[in-house]
Amino acid sequence: MELTIWTYEGPPHVGAMRIATAMKGVHYVLHAPQGDTYADLLFTMIERRDHRPPVTYTTFQAQDLGGDTAELLKTAVREAHERFKPDVMLVGASCTAELIQDNPGGLAESLGLPIPVVPLELPAYQRKENWGASETFYQLVRALAAPHAPPPAEPRPERPAGQAPSCNLLGPTALGFRHRDDTAEIRRLLEAVGVEVRVVAPLGATAHDLARLGEADFNVVLYPEVAHAAASWLKRTFKQPMVTTVPIGVGATRDFLREVAVVAGLEADSLVERMHTQLPWYSRSVDSNYLTGKRVFIFGDATHAVAAARVARDEMGFEVVGLGAYNREFAREVRAAAKEYGVEPLITDDYLEVEEAIREAAPELILGTQMERHIAKRLGIFCQVISAPVHVQDFPARYSPLMGPEGANVLFDSWVHPLMMGLEEHLLGMFQEDFEFGNDTLPSHLRAEVPNDPATANGGSPAGSAPVIPAAEPGASADSAVPASALAAEPDGDIDPEWNAEAEKELGKIPFFVRGKARRNTERFAREQGVVEISVDTLYEAKAHFGGR
Amino acid sequence: MSTSGVLPIAKKGSTSAGDGEGSLQVHMDPSDQIDNALVLAVYGKGGIGKSTTSSNLSAALALMGKRVLQVGCDPKHDSTFTLTKRMVPTVIETLAEVDFHTEELRTEDFVYEGFAGVMCVETGGPPAGTGCGGYVVGQTVKLLKQHHLLEDTDVVIFDVLGDVVCGGFAAPLQHADRALIVTANDFDSIFAMNRIVAAIRAKSANYKVRLGGVIANRSDDTDQIDKFNTRVGLDTMAVFPMVDAIRRSRLKKCTLFEMEDTEEVRQVQDAYRGLATAVLREHEGYDCEPLDDNEIFNLLGFD
Repeated sequence: MELTIWTYEGPPHVGAMRIATAMKGVHYVLHAPQGDTYADLLFTMIERRDHRPPVTYTTFQAQDLGGDTAELLKTAVREAHERFKPDVMLVGASCTAELIQDNPGGLAESLGLPIPVVPLELPAYQRKENWGASETFYQLVRALAAPHAPPPAEPRPERPAGQAPSCNLLGPTALGFRHRDDTAEIRRLLEAVGVEVRVVAPLGATAHDLARLGEADFNVVLYPEVAHAAASWLKRTFKQPMVTTVPIGVGATRDFLREVAVVAGLEADSLVERMHTQLPWYSRSVDSNYLTGKRVFIFGDATHAVAAARVARDEMGFEVVGLGAYNREFAREVRAAAKEYGVEPLITDDYLEVEEAIREAAPELILGTQMERHIAKRLGIFCQVISAPVHVQDFPARYSPLMGPEGANVLFDSWVHPLMMGLEEHLLGMFQEDFEFGNDTLPSHLRAEVPNDPATANGGSPAGSAPVIPAAEPGASADSAVPASALAAEPDGDIDPEWNAEAEKELGKIPFFVRGKARRNTERFAREQGVVEISVDTLYEAKAHFGGR
Repeated sequence: MSTSGVLPIAKKGSTSAGDGEGSLQVHMDPSDQIDNALVLAVYGKGGIGKSTTSSNLSAALALMGKRVLQVGCDPKHDSTFTLTKRMVPTVIETLAEVDFHTEELRTEDFVYEGFAGVMCVETGGPPAGTGCGGYVVGQTVKLLKQHHLLEDTDVVIFDVLGDVVCGGFAAPLQHADRALIVTANDFDSIFAMNRIVAAIRAKSANYKVRLGGVIANRSDDTDQIDKFNTRVGLDTMAVFPMVDAIRRSRLKKCTLFEMEDTEEVRQVQDAYRGLATAVLREHEGYDCEPLDDNEIFNLLGFD
């Protein structure tokens, strides 16, 4: 256990909340002190849910610790049941409450409620959010589906002839990165190949849905971190096969279809061929070799990191120079993948370690989490988010899966654009000090008329190749030392303001493509105010005067 | 798992037997498969034959069709070798390989299949004279719980080392339904049994564990054991006399069910089967008060 400022995963009860919030008719009583209610924010602000998580917090305070916290919990459970009338309840403790050792499960059991009450034992000092979600889902599935389990020795009956193969999609939760759209994409993909999707769980599932999980022919494990334990149990108990290929990227989606075909008894090759993809378009483009060999560092949850590595190397032509994950439950998959890509696996939940590894690897693109966004900004490297933990911008309004055919398109767009636009920005940055790109210069191939220059007065070309200053605007000053004559009042009584050194320096901080306008506005303001010497204060007063533009 | 009640979402046409056509009730039935395993914890004086008894009991239960998990809780890690025919890697050794990050482990890393399908785990522990064995046992029990190994099986047998000197070794008692004590017909093992009775009684106050009974091992007579039982209110579940075949089976690294087919061996096999039947039988357990040191000192031997 360590102190840290930032973590990749929350405590396990947040994982439990993700399951409860994803489902319908579930209520979670969380024995927790005041302050643990912060977790609601994640769902309302980041994911923009239309309801708060279905959680009752006992919110015990310091003074309660001197009294009967157990009674507090029992009251909370009883009242939550009366008020919300859920189909099934979860009862557990947050990390802080775990220390009181009130045994929430046992206490809830003693109430004898007429609905299933599932106690959650989530050791907060040993496990984290993903495991909490996995354990909660497992316990719910087990509690609700087990009464309908066949006797252990009985083999699974054959699917009736003429009936379409069917499956459940397991794993999508609340606050899941792109879970909403991944689910829609894979559901559509499966239905297009003739597989009926019976239950999606936990996202949008009821207790009734979990009870009938055993009916479908097989289970698709979309997110192993959440659903592997439950799917394994369903396999042992209902003899349902599991499809475990995660369909992120064109190659993996094809493999996914092949696995589905085997399990569903369908013909694989035609399924794969029918799948539409933009991969041939971008991989055969002439410019595609711009992407070849771009060095990419990948970090996130194991599922997304490993999937991203395959897409990066095999579908974009990148070079994987780093691969890691923060969730140790799947460390061995990441280690195996890292071996395949010839890199050292980075299994850590310490973001400082990740930053150090990225710094050493010096990649051109980082594929990571919200924390890697920060790291990338600090190091000046392009970054794209491919995994939780994420932020508001990773729950877009537009349809944006990572899985399936459309997901592959999303990946291409989101990875390639920062690289290409990044190059453009880099070039702009490089050239902004060039004489060609000065504030008041015309492109050098255009010969402009220069006032008072005999050489150009009659349309001849100016002497030498020094930058010419167009006499386009009254009062426009040269960007070098102003001749004494310019300080003299113009015949119409206007004073030509002069920029002092600090003001010029401050002006230089303004992006060059708006610098000219800023200069002109400031000079206009100074002239109107009768200011002769433009200082830094003048510059900002002018800015305020013109409304900050 | 706490369960109660029936969720009334039955559709029309449901019958009392099963859910009926078109209906799927969400309910918890206490008699159902989902109930956790029968968890036994085997204690007794060091060297008295707990591992021998446990592994042959596991074998007997498995041959009866039960799913069995045997967990050796001893730094010596010699509980399950007659089932697996080898010294399997211990949990602590496996943990060391992943730098003690328990999240990285999976059941296949530390659970091994043995004779008749008995699943075997050895907690292991530090080398003799160092470290803290109790801590290892305590942590391993937590690990088993997290990996759901105490669910979805029929019988779990914790075979716990002889000299329970600290709380860690008592960790199995937090999850056990019944505690069994192996003893012989001598002073020292019965004296040790008395101490174990005290420990189990203390745990019974806060946990569901109850004393399940006494197993007499290497005992041609049981008079001293009987005296103790009568005094505290316990019963003997099984008696294993001095049988050389049992000793030889340990050297041959196999269970009694794999030994030569002689009358003697068959009798011992029957005794283990009898014990298996006895542990599966519903019984509310014993509530016994241990004797104090002087009481037991004066009870045994003075005939």
